[in-house]
Amino acid sequence: MSEQSSGMRLQPLGPSGDLSDEELLKHNIFITKADDLINWARRSSVWPMTFGLACCAIEMMATGASRTDIDRFGSGPFRATPRQADLMIVAGTVTHKMAPRVKRLYDQMPEPKYVIAMGACVCRGGPYHKFGYHVVKGVDLIVPVDVYVPGCPPRPEALLEGVFRIQDKIRRERTLYYDGQRRLTRPAPNPRLEGHAGNWANGFDVEGADAPKSAGFIGWLREFLFEGHGDDHGHGHDDGHGH
Amino acid sequence: MIEAGADIRTEEFLLNMGPQHPATHGVLRLVVRTDGELVLDCECHIGYLHRCFEKCAEGNPYTSVIPYTDRMDYLAAMCNNQSFSLAVEKLAKIEVTDRARWMRMATVELQRIASHLMAVGTYGLDVGAITAFLHCFRERERILDLFEEMSGQRLNYSYIVPGGVLYDWPDDMPKKIENFCDQMEVRIREYNDLLSGNGIFIKRTADIGVLPADVAIAWGCTGPVLRGSGIKRDLRKDRPYEFYDQVEFDVPVGRGLHGTLGDCWDRYWVRVQEMSESIKIIRQSISKYSTSTGKYLTTPANKQLRPPKGEAVYHTTENPRGELGYYVVSDGEPIPYRVKARAPSFCNVAVLPEISRGTMVADLVAILGSLDIVLGEIDR
Amino acid sequence: MLTGLLLAAGSAGRGLIDLDLTSLPLVGEMLAEHPTIAWPLLMLAIGCGVVIGYITVFSLLAVYAERKISAFMQSRLGPMEVGPYGLLQTAADGLKLLAKEDIIPRDADKLLYIIGPIFVFTGVWLSFVVLPYGPDLIVADLNVGLLFLAAVASIEVVGVLMAGWASNNKWALFGTMRMITQLVSYEIPIGLSFVAVVAISGSLSMQEITLDQQGWFWNWYLFRNPFLFVGFFLYFIASLAETKRAPFDLPEAESELVAGFHTEYTGMRFSLFFLAEYAAMYVVSATAAVLFLGGWCTGFAFIDSWMMESAGFQRVLANVVGLTSITIKAWFLVAVMMWLRWTLPRIRLDQVMYVCLKVLLPFSFGVLVFSTLWELVTDGTLFGDWWPLFQFLISIGGFGLLMMNFMAKERPYDIEADFRPLRHSEVHAAPDAGARG
Repeated sequence: MSEQSSGMRLQPLGPSGDLSDEELLKHNIFITKADDLINWARRSSVWPMTFGLACCAIEMMATGASRTDIDRFGSGPFRATPRQADLMIVAGTVTHKMAPRVKRLYDQMPEPKYVIAMGACVCRGGPYHKFGYHVVKGVDLIVPVDVYVPGCPPRPEALLEGVFRIQDKIRRERTLYYDGQRRLTRPAPNPRLEGHAGNWANGFDVEGADAPKSAGFIGWLREFLFEGHGDDHGHGHDDGHGH
Repeated sequence: MIEAGADIRTEEFLLNMGPQHPATHGVLRLVVRTDGELVLDCECHIGYLHRCFEKCAEGNPYTSVIPYTDRMDYLAAMCNNQSFSLAVEKLAKIEVTDRARWMRMATVELQRIASHLMAVGTYGLDVGAITAFLHCFRERERILDLFEEMSGQRLNYSYIVPGGVLYDWPDDMPKKIENFCDQMEVRIREYNDLLSGNGIFIKRTADIGVLPADVAIAWGCTGPVLRGSGIKRDLRKDRPYEFYDQVEFDVPVGRGLHGTLGDCWDRYWVRVQEMSESIKIIRQSISKYSTSTGKYLTTPANKQLRPPKGEAVYHTTENPRGELGYYVVSDGEPIPYRVKARAPSFCNVAVLPEISRGTMVADLVAILGSLDIVLGEIDR
Repeated sequence: MLTGLLLAAGSAGRGLIDLDLTSLPLVGEMLAEHPTIAWPLLMLAIGCGVVIGYITVFSLLAVYAERKISAFMQSRLGPMEVGPYGLLQTAADGLKLLAKEDIIPRDADKLLYIIGPIFVFTGVWLSFVVLPYGPDLIVADLNVGLLFLAAVASIEVVGVLMAGWASNNKWALFGTMRMITQLVSYEIPIGLSFVAVVAISGSLSMQEITLDQQGWFWNWYLFRNPFLFVGFFLYFIASLAETKRAPFDLPEAESELVAGFHTEYTGMRFSLFFLAEYAAMYVVSATAAVLFLGGWCTGFAFIDSWMMESAGFQRVLANVVGLTSITIKAWFLVAVMMWLRWTLPRIRLDQVMYVCLKVLLPFSFGVLVFSTLWELVTDGTLFGDWWPLFQFLISIGGFGLLMMNFMAKERPYDIEADFRPLRHSEVHAAPDAGARG
């Protein structure tokens, strides 16, 4: 797939299927601009989920409070339901009992979704790495993490920085433009997962976690533009994302 | 329960609140049996934040356990440090200078204010008053600034250690704390204006979740939950540790001002009043600190403590949430043989099903908020 | 739904019938060739476009205002970084929601799940049809305008029921039940307030009700008689519940029911609820402005008379003045709603019902009966031409006395007496345990 030129993807648009370079350029510019607009919207309103686990949740609340007002950057509305959230800030220690719930909440969020691992415990077990027999040694064993914010707990400024890194990540994304190798939002599979004794991602896959039926307007548009070519764009997708 | 005619069948409804729910203050899970909006019964499921405190404590040297106590009750880390340090001091027979004790008392009372601010603020959030929450956080940030200057941390301080406190105060710290106290007194009035005296707030909390004194005692409730039921029990008065016997302060108890004694409003009000009592203690501690002498730390923080073999102590202190006790057993090694924590929130949340039967779902949230639990402490 | 669309379109068409659209180049040809199809289609397009555009722009601004007002009250800054002073924040939110994945839960009732938000939105959207913005600016001056308004407002209930039930989510079901209980109950005091106004104006047409309040601001129905003055506040409280704003925001109480009836909704479907909520705020506020605050009348007799007599370009100007007038009034009420939202805690379901059935309902009946009696007795001109002014003074004075009495009795908190709660309760509080205060 990756060897094919992007012109091949655009065939369905053209009248004859054989576009000239100028036409190709025109389409690309349009798509790039549209991508920029969508990325601007997405990075300007990253709504986090109200999802506090432990100490870090207090700092997460402090980030939303008056001093470091996260609302300035458009991330003010903390949504309590995963369905309306874009960003899961895993704030606090994830335990074995909580792990399936974290996975389920992640599954319930609509694409594009991002995860910030906030705090030492969520990054790699933190102070509980040695003796914490009930502590998951890093939330990246359960859900794909986009940004790690270390600290115990991280300062609110650090979490803000984490949100900025998410915004940077969104800035580089391509939504409509698709050259066969760019993934949508999910990161590459975690090498730590390979050969892990209990593969959390599979082990905790909640039965009946709603598979999305369609990918919304963007999915439709992408389907319309690149009909039949919207395959294998993500890694480890099990939910049949709009193609 | 709503009476229905013979031919009308009402169905019970099993509602699962949490572990991810905005009102469960962390990861408490409540399985609520409801009939419409009425709560027939509720059951607390805990353990979603079991971080193996006791196991960690049995694997680390005495002074290294202090950071784990921080993370037990992360809203009152100083108080937990103090409690464990007092237990270890008793066990290893460590002396603490007067100056360090006054420093500890001031910081712990500041922490108590911070914790109660959080409790008051999130309680406002639970009943729908969002602005009160943000105003409380504003003042809490000021306390955290002071703590940051003392200890270098914002939330988990590990500041109070066996033998005193970890760092000396900067010279202008007493003045800064005084300034804060002056402002805080005004702010408490502001919260009262915004929340405590609000008619809707009183309607939502008065007569709700009434916890009679005998039930509170039977379930082992302590702290503001017990005092809200009208029982004057405060370890700072009844079994004074540090220098609490040398300071003047009152123990506010619930009086049933807006409804029945022991309702949510009483518990809330006890916390608000305790904030102003804490200000009194801080002021006295600061003045005593300025005149007292001595080192801030008697034993180096990295010194290996080896309490005598077979010794065991149980020490309780008055945490913002109730009586926090540490049972520490030594076998002569630098690592404790056994550490057991008696967490106040654990006992306080146990009474929830008892007092929430027959209320409405919205009340359940209000009652849970008035108990002011911290899951780190419940699950440990 | 389709009926609703056609109704809206038809109404829009009738409002524009005076304009000479046939003179436009392309449209004129189409109209000439296919008059039976092209006319309704054109009307549909224009009517829908105007109303949707207005709702969208208003909602974007209202959400921005809400976030800024809340930030101001909470010593924050609010949106700052997206566009100048965060002005583009809500536009970004909307675009993002549009680009989100659309999830329909597996066990949801698909059809109802999809049409639920559309119903909710349509209900609010249709209300815009009868709202007057100026002497000529009304989509359709229906002679049953107020009745139409009350009728379409209840479409929302159906939509919410569909959405909540179809979601197959317990929180959604809870939110739905609360919402329906609340909305259906509060329609009664709202309807009674409508009737009290209609009894005076003698017409259900929004435009005629507005025209009846021309002249100086004491001609507004708010100051028509002391009872209608109270009626305005009853209507305002009931409309808070009708739009599920705090302290009546139970259906989507975040701390109790995760997100209420739209817990399962994502992306665009959620934003339809969102738009509908803010649009409903505008509708009830604009209705309050029309019924009690003179609608697009400015409150100054000379401007109002000029507005009615003007012609040509001045007429356009008059319409702009009218639009500004009603927008200011409606926005003022919307701002009050936001202010309340960020100040007050939320009340409980039984208290909501108590307020409706035991407070608002009897008072609304009282307002209806006594305001009608007052009109009968005074006959509008008790002391000649200056009677409206007298009525104005009586209304204000009566309300002032009431408030003074209220303040003296229910002083919420005495900040001077160190941290003590209500003084009167302290008097009554028995010293022994367990006594009622």
